[in-house]
Amino acid sequence: MTAAHIQPGPLAGLRVLELCDEKGQFCGKLLGDLGAAVIKIEPLGGEATRRVGPFLDDIPHPERSLSFWYYNTSKRGVTLNLETADGRRLFRRLAATTDVVLETFQPGYLASRELAYEPLCTQNPGLIMCSLTSFGQTGPWRDYLGSDLLHMAAGGEMASCGYDEADAPGAPPIAPGGGNAWHIGGHFAYMAILAALMHRAVTGQGQYIDASIHEACALTTEAAVANHIYRGETLLRQTGRHHAPARTPRTQFRSRDGTYVTALVAGRLNGKYVKDLATLLDRYGMPHDLHDPKFEDPAEIAASASYIIDELVANFIASLPAEEVYHAAQALGFTWGAVRAPEQLLDDAHLRDRGFWKQVEHPELGRSFTYPGEAAIYNGSPWRISRRAPLIGEHNMEIFCDELGLSRAEFSLLVENSAI
Amino acid sequence: MSRRRALEGVRVVDFSWVRAGPWATRWLGALGAEVIKIEWPENERGRLPSTTTPQGLEVNFNTSGNFNDTNVNKKSLCLNVRSARGLEIAKRLIAISDLVVENFSSRVLQKWGLGYAELCKVKPDIVYVSMSGYGHTGRNHSYTTFGPIAQAVSGLTYLSGLPDKPPAGWGWSYMDDMGGIYGAMCALTGLYHRNLTGQGQHIDQAQMVSAVPLNGPGLLDYTVNGRGSRRAGYPPGNRAHWPGTPLINNYRGPTVAPHNAYRTHPGGYNDWCVLVCQSDAEWRRLVEVMGAPPWATTSQFAALSGRLQHQEQLDKHIEAWSIRLDKYELTERCQAAGVRALPVQSAADRVERDPQLRHRQMYLPIDHPALGSRRVQNAPFKLSRTPAFNHLPSPLIGQHTREIVEGLLGYGHHELRAGFADGTFWPTSRPRLPYLDEMLR
Repeated sequence: MTAAHIQPGPLAGLRVLELCDEKGQFCGKLLGDLGAAVIKIEPLGGEATRRVGPFLDDIPHPERSLSFWYYNTSKRGVTLNLETADGRRLFRRLAATTDVVLETFQPGYLASRELAYEPLCTQNPGLIMCSLTSFGQTGPWRDYLGSDLLHMAAGGEMASCGYDEADAPGAPPIAPGGGNAWHIGGHFAYMAILAALMHRAVTGQGQYIDASIHEACALTTEAAVANHIYRGETLLRQTGRHHAPARTPRTQFRSRDGTYVTALVAGRLNGKYVKDLATLLDRYGMPHDLHDPKFEDPAEIAASASYIIDELVANFIASLPAEEVYHAAQALGFTWGAVRAPEQLLDDAHLRDRGFWKQVEHPELGRSFTYPGEAAIYNGSPWRISRRAPLIGEHNMEIFCDELGLSRAEFSLLVENSAI
Repeated sequence: MSRRRALEGVRVVDFSWVRAGPWATRWLGALGAEVIKIEWPENERGRLPSTTTPQGLEVNFNTSGNFNDTNVNKKSLCLNVRSARGLEIAKRLIAISDLVVENFSSRVLQKWGLGYAELCKVKPDIVYVSMSGYGHTGRNHSYTTFGPIAQAVSGLTYLSGLPDKPPAGWGWSYMDDMGGIYGAMCALTGLYHRNLTGQGQHIDQAQMVSAVPLNGPGLLDYTVNGRGSRRAGYPPGNRAHWPGTPLINNYRGPTVAPHNAYRTHPGGYNDWCVLVCQSDAEWRRLVEVMGAPPWATTSQFAALSGRLQHQEQLDKHIEAWSIRLDKYELTERCQAAGVRALPVQSAADRVERDPQLRHRQMYLPIDHPALGSRRVQNAPFKLSRTPAFNHLPSPLIGQHTREIVEGLLGYGHHELRAGFADGTFWPTSRPRLPYLDEMLR
């Protein structure tokens, strides 16, 4: 694909400075992949997130972190030492011509370096600055330390996730993996930044955004808060299915290939469902008695729910590979799905049809790799990964000299004095 | 407050139902957009069935607590879009709106005669966000999904659990939450782009697809290193690494120990805290907080490698200490010393006990005609000039039909009456609720 005739992304022209660790790098990627010109500002030697594995070929190196690669696509990178006066001066110059600053320092750090929103916006009244931190800029926990696991605990995710006692006796609440505290926080920060941009488009005024990952996680447990507020109920954790005030029938069944299928059956059983289920079982020659006229009676269906779910559905799924169950059931309109390991998605024909997977070149390695693509297709202004994650200080000269106008002599002096 | 809102002047036609779509438009409303929810009692899903109606109240269209929280900041227009008259009114509304949001299956709006091409005829620069399960393109576009299916099929369910156990999964529709947020993000991005270029567009968001980018590093481990996640010790429960298995990063940050959940006093269902030490220095601080017991100062735990190797023992020792403390007391002691610790919090804990959420005014009450004064969830960000806030309770079904039909669209009162008589604004077979009768006077 050639770049020349491709339409720009929806955020084309938007300039963003990102000073982020694990808390905000995903938000920077969201902006960059949609077309914003994101400059990632790292401390000398690179951001700490470069030390998070896994690494290319399992060789640890700050330029080989796959986690860093993933979360920093579509950004250019500079190094800047905010502990030096020259570094701070350069940052102010960058901030004078940017639209958005996204930062994740501990509350108070930027203010202590005279780089808070107030001084920065006097030179650039349209500036939008988003501080995305663990707990926000105020309150008794503002200086607390966080982590993905900590946010999953305090945000309520863990209280809702875990096992039926029979499946894992004594198991703790479980925090889903994948770093989702940062995803949840990043999504809301993106929303806040776009809202501020909408306001600025009309008024010309920028503003400061104090975003909290703890609050974002605390919002992200569906009806758990409503269950408390309206009914005072405590929710039980259940294997592979929704939390509930009282135990509900299982929805996760083992398949022949040793994986699982999620099949939403309970609560949906009616005459039509039973008929369709009979069709599905017939198709695979599975013995059953669902054609018995007694299953036209809703009361009989209700009384047989446990038989239908724990015997017929469970045995059917146990007789086939998960993928086969998934597609055969969906073809008949059942809301069922295979419980896949992420790598199985590479074989998913639907994602392929949507052009989901992207090839990203790593020119310094002479290789290109397959990356996950877009959450949504923007038909009028496409999402794209414009470049792989930056190397440490890769764009220092381009940005400081070519764009900011430093002379080579000034640039060299700053390097010698550990400002960049 | 005379303050300008971020989305002042933006009008949203909201056909969405159940959870993901309404969760998206709720935030647009909190940011100041006028959100008009179009619904029809004969095929309503979101208000009913309700499992969050307070004890002692009748379960009906207007008493679902979860609906209230999910649909604040909106107005409700009851409209039979499947009738010619209803369709005409919907188009008249779209013609003066900025955004159309829906989360039906992939072909529903098209079947109604409201596909993107039709929308453009009515409003050339309309931003249309469809939030379907699998998207509008791709061979499985007609598959049906709820959060749990999107999570299973996308690989998210598999990330959660203990080794050698079935997946624990997510105990709620995470992808209704995140899918909803993505819908709001798409809407804002589409509007921003339209303001700059004058071009609207159709944004095709898909719940199942939206979940896949949340697995990035794990997917790269496969596409780059060829390592799949069906392996010993994965997923590692709450740990960063499961002892006795190959020392590999498990995609939740640095590989460290301790990194787990521990029981706290008095040992109830949600009496747990989590503790993480990301460095030897943080470990030494935890040792101090625990009172430097002899077991903790032995050399086997001094370095990260030893703590990872002897994690079973380490966790047992830590739990023997943590079980004596209340989870909030433990949190305060640890955090005061610079140790990463927080309580596992139920919804009750968050709403009633969490001092941070209270300070940040996360749950403020709003009056609802049927449910009374109830706390609803606020935005997790504070915009200094245009704060997001909940300004309307969720609408009663059809509550704003007259306001919209007569006030906004300029139909006469006799046309409203005619629309009620012919089943455009309320099914003729269904008794009218008192506030609907009131409208017809």
